[in-house]
Amino acid sequence: MRFQLSVSVRWVALALGAITVLGTSLVFGADAGDQAPAAWIPKRLSDGQPDVQGFWRTENPNAYSLTNPRTGQDGMPERTGPNAGKPPPRGPDGRVVAKTQKPSRIIDPPNGQVPYLPSAYAHQQDLYLNFEVPTKPQYVETQMRCYPSGVARQQWWNEVEIRQYPGVVFLISYASNRFIYLDDRPHIPDNIKLFMSDSRGHWEGNTLVVDVTNSNAKHRLSYEGDFSSDKVHITERFIFKDNNTYQYQATFTDPSVYKQPWTVSSKQLRVHGNDPSYEWYEYACLEGERNLDNYIPVAE
Amino acid sequence: MKKRAWILVALLGSLAIINTALGDVGPIKRTAEGHPDFTGIWQPLTTAEWDLEPHGARKDAPPGLGVVVGGSIPYQPWALEQRKKNFDNRATLDPRNKGYMLGVPRVAYNAAPFQILQQAKHLTLVYEYQNSVRTIYTNGSQHPPGHIDWWLGDSRGHWEGDTLVSDVLHQHPDTWLDRSGNFHSEDLHVVERYTPLGPDHIRYEATLDDPKVFTRPWSINLILYRHKEENLQLLEYYPHTFDSEQYYP
Repeated sequence: MRFQLSVSVRWVALALGAITVLGTSLVFGADAGDQAPAAWIPKRLSDGQPDVQGFWRTENPNAYSLTNPRTGQDGMPERTGPNAGKPPPRGPDGRVVAKTQKPSRIIDPPNGQVPYLPSAYAHQQDLYLNFEVPTKPQYVETQMRCYPSGVARQQWWNEVEIRQYPGVVFLISYASNRFIYLDDRPHIPDNIKLFMSDSRGHWEGNTLVVDVTNSNAKHRLSYEGDFSSDKVHITERFIFKDNNTYQYQATFTDPSVYKQPWTVSSKQLRVHGNDPSYEWYEYACLEGERNLDNYIPVAE
Repeated sequence: MKKRAWILVALLGSLAIINTALGDVGPIKRTAEGHPDFTGIWQPLTTAEWDLEPHGARKDAPPGLGVVVGGSIPYQPWALEQRKKNFDNRATLDPRNKGYMLGVPRVAYNAAPFQILQQAKHLTLVYEYQNSVRTIYTNGSQHPPGHIDWWLGDSRGHWEGDTLVSDVLHQHPDTWLDRSGNFHSEDLHVVERYTPLGPDHIRYEATLDDPKVFTRPWSINLILYRHKEENLQLLEYYPHTFDSEQYYP
């Protein structure tokens, strides 16, 4: 009799424990951003897509750094005073000593660093240490050359407008635009490499899942020289939580550069939502560029 | 009487079959609002990009009968002189060679595909060459006050029957109209007209008005052809990256 009671108590305890664990993971799973909360019911477009059109901007817009995405001139050469133009001071790890430390955009691995292979790390460090005073063409930051930004970096520089059509999502930003095709067409041939890659997406509830290939990787990932090779495979999740917020996640897989896949995550907020007449003003980067010839002390 | 009717029916039927075989068949696609739906990838087949006017073959240009209505562009005398200087130095002076955006209407007859995405409030035109994006607003909005030096101008459109009329203002004076040195000032005012000729053809007309350069408004007229390949998509063509991309990533 006592034995039977113990058994049933143990089973009940096990069951209660399982339910608690399950319940916890459901709650925390939603917060961690894997699933959009079921509460938001978006308007739907004619082909069934959630309507997420409009202008969006990350809450921390800048492309300086993945690991310390600080804004402003923090960590950049001073413009005036006795140290004007000199590279900023660096700590023992070679990294710039910035006054501000923002959380890394990298959520995996947990240390928030890009898991470079040793030879790749050496290249990144070389770019990083020579960014402020470029003495060679490769040290000139891609944004200075008006290069398109690449898919992830497009989410962090400034505003992105999402326009949706049956079977395709079109993203517009300064100097970059990209098509995300939602039909079942195959990716383009592998030997075509594009700044804005080749994207095939589908909706899972309120999350747009995108498979990204054919990157030429030439845009790099930050001013600090973070980079992929053109063999990188990126999986994105645009997790729309409500009408004004989405979480952007992207996992980079490239065994020629990284020891393991790694994932960035950033919060994106709707902007100009109260101004339906808001429009892009033209961004003419190349046409306005005057300094590039003066930027490199050595002729290319 | 009955026999003739049957012959007529048979004739019309065969024509329909022939039309179907050619692919350009039936009514034009329409949006929910009833306007022609120009969604798709299009491309002109003229050589207007090289020279708007009638021209024979040159070392740097294929020949063309020209797209200018009336044959030649009505330049003011000083402007005709300037056009000649431009032409003689076109290899170095054409702003296209710096990778600069082409302006309107040159972007419309550039020899490359472009994609139209269409909604009620605007049409989005994405040009594969330079991957430039242009929006023709069809929401009743007006040009912003100017003058603004925009390289692709500001486009406000409305429908006149099945024709999309696009009014373009605020262009930068430094663009050319083709590779032959045809040019304009910041006062250029362009009115485009996109008229469907069937589901797969658009007649593109543009009237150019610039009292600083021309003696009167003048027009161009050409055809846009719909690409019919399966799974066609725009690729990338960023000319300003070619010389430096070797250094990256």
